[in-house]
Amino acid sequence: MMKNKKFKSVISLCLALILLFETEGTIKALADKLPYDSYNYDYREYIHYTPAAYIPERTVTGLDLSYQGEPIGKFTNPQDLCKSPSGNIYIADTGNNRIVVLDPTMKQVVKIISAFDNGGKEDKFNSPYGVCVSERGWLYVADFKNKRIVVLDENDVLMQIIENPQSESLEDGYVFSPMKVTVDYADRAYVIAQNMFEGIMVFENNGNFSNFFGTIQVEISVWDKFWKRMATKEERSNQMLYIPTEFTGIDIDPEGFVYASNIDPKGVQGVRRLNPQGEDVIKKGENENLGGDLAFTTSTYNQYAGPSQFTDVVYRSKGIYSCLDRRRGRIFTYDHEGNLLYIFGGLGTQAGTFQLPVAVEDIGGRIVVLDATKAAILCFQETEYGRLINEAVGLRYDGDEAEAVEIWGRVLELDENNELANTGIGKAYLTAGDYELAMHYLELGMARDYYSIAYKRYRNEILTANASWVLTGGLVLIAAWVVIKKVKKKKRGAVDLG
Amino acid sequence: MGKYFSKAKWSYLFYTITHPMDGYYWIRHQDKGSVPLAILLVVIFSCCFTANRLLSSFVVNDIDPRGVDSLYELIGTLAFFLLLCVSNWSVTCLMGGEGRMKDITIAIGYGTLPMSVVLVLATVVSRFIADDEQAFYGLLIAVGIAYGIIMILIGIMQVHNYTLGKTLLTLLITFVAALIIIFLILLLSNLIGSVYNFFYSIYTELIFRV
Repeated sequence: MMKNKKFKSVISLCLALILLFETEGTIKALADKLPYDSYNYDYREYIHYTPAAYIPERTVTGLDLSYQGEPIGKFTNPQDLCKSPSGNIYIADTGNNRIVVLDPTMKQVVKIISAFDNGGKEDKFNSPYGVCVSERGWLYVADFKNKRIVVLDENDVLMQIIENPQSESLEDGYVFSPMKVTVDYADRAYVIAQNMFEGIMVFENNGNFSNFFGTIQVEISVWDKFWKRMATKEERSNQMLYIPTEFTGIDIDPEGFVYASNIDPKGVQGVRRLNPQGEDVIKKGENENLGGDLAFTTSTYNQYAGPSQFTDVVYRSKGIYSCLDRRRGRIFTYDHEGNLLYIFGGLGTQAGTFQLPVAVEDIGGRIVVLDATKAAILCFQETEYGRLINEAVGLRYDGDEAEAVEIWGRVLELDENNELANTGIGKAYLTAGDYELAMHYLELGMARDYYSIAYKRYRNEILTANASWVLTGGLVLIAAWVVIKKVKKKKRGAVDLG
Repeated sequence: MGKYFSKAKWSYLFYTITHPMDGYYWIRHQDKGSVPLAILLVVIFSCCFTANRLLSSFVVNDIDPRGVDSLYELIGTLAFFLLLCVSNWSVTCLMGGEGRMKDITIAIGYGTLPMSVVLVLATVVSRFIADDEQAFYGLLIAVGIAYGIIMILIGIMQVHNYTLGKTLLTLLITFVAALIIIFLILLLSNLIGSVYNFFYSIYTELIFRV
């Protein structure tokens, strides 16, 4: 017994040494060192692990930065970041009541805005929660505790203050506490305000409140209605109110459609694409789900359980948008048809993981996430795999499906089970007229409609190819049968006569 | 064995399929049916069912092949078959049914044959249809299942010498009885488990103390 134990410890020591040398001596593939899993869901909603689409590049904290020779100090509870048309990056350093502007490389501080001139007096921010830069370069700051939106031009000159909105549709004594803001091409401001359940608030370019936008309708089931009817007044007053969820993050695409994320307790739809009338026009994929993770546990005690909670959304390009899940710290990327392209990211304390992710932005092909607790900006760079998918989806968005085939082929080399890639290749074969191969790839991609089209054409091909001899053969057979019958009859007749 | 699967039994099976009223009547009164044959038909039905789920074409089939377990489905089908027979027998016993257990078994078992045939046929047909021709596939299966259900209905009606109304009533009660049986089985297994646990804990106590 004793000997055995000794032997075991020697072996484990050896193994440990081997492991040590192994990790020191060789440079392993980056994927092994990733602090998170990259995966996707297939047609049957099974998880399949994919190569990483994005890998951590670097982390920028306030300590890494200095402005005019002086360190700018840690960020404190930063809540938002955005990209200006000129490429600079604006960070709402909420706890420090300032806006920090970084250059596109995120190494230099361009400027720090903590005060501005308001009618001759110096005015300051108080918990600026959201920032946005309009197309003409004006900075919009959701000055949360001052209950206003401050608009500054390129030279930090105050242009406008949006505060105290007046409207019949607002309750008396309504307190305007803006959290997130975005601006469209016509300088209309779209604002998410605290405790405003009626939707996104839209302000005209003169600062007047215009209307609500994209209200999330509450769905009350028949069952709930039944219980509501059954309950007494007292019980009803104790029941939970059916309040629509608030929006959490907002972005705008070049066509003026607003992407807004919200927390869906059912995990079905966490993001909306709102047209100028405020209607949701987002496209959903095969499984009708835009809510992040499809498979999750539902324990109430486990903070990692439950559906994903989208806290921000960013429109990237060519119909691709990414949503940031704060529940499990993952980033879900969808294409314009609502297909999940890739999932990456995770919670943790390692470099490249989040503690409380609050905002996501696409800066020069990188995905940049702001973490409020870590008070850091995390940059993720795309890998070969991510780049190929982005490129192929972009080509499909532009209608160049034929060109996308080669790229999808390369995606398949990296991830054999990628259904989008299989479908893409299958569709190309379908247009090229190679129906048998098209069927093969479309079945792998689980694209039933296109498979059916391919099959139909394939069937027609076979039928037309073989029609001549099948028909002739049939005719010959029938003729032979008739002849034989006649001959037999004659013979029998002869026998009868005989 | 030969007695149960003799040529006469087989040919009478096909006679019953085409003439259910007459067929089931003589099964009751002249023992023309065969219980082993009926059980074999149920096994065949289970196989056809699994085959349909696994082998029908991608166009019509949305079933995850990883979720199909032929052995599990066979056991399930047989258990359901047994449950149906037992509950129908126990109900009709009390409601003046003339059928014996073996007649009920045969009535239900023979009734599965049209469904099995159609499932195989539909599986073959599914391989040659496109998306917009799915209706044929659905119609085929619907016809087969309807035929099977009518067969079983007539079978139960004839072996018990019931009217149609009474058959439907007893079938309804049969389903309630089936639920009660399931409930009792669960209760019993739970109870046996508790008793087993009780004795097992006595055993462990003894082991620890001795």
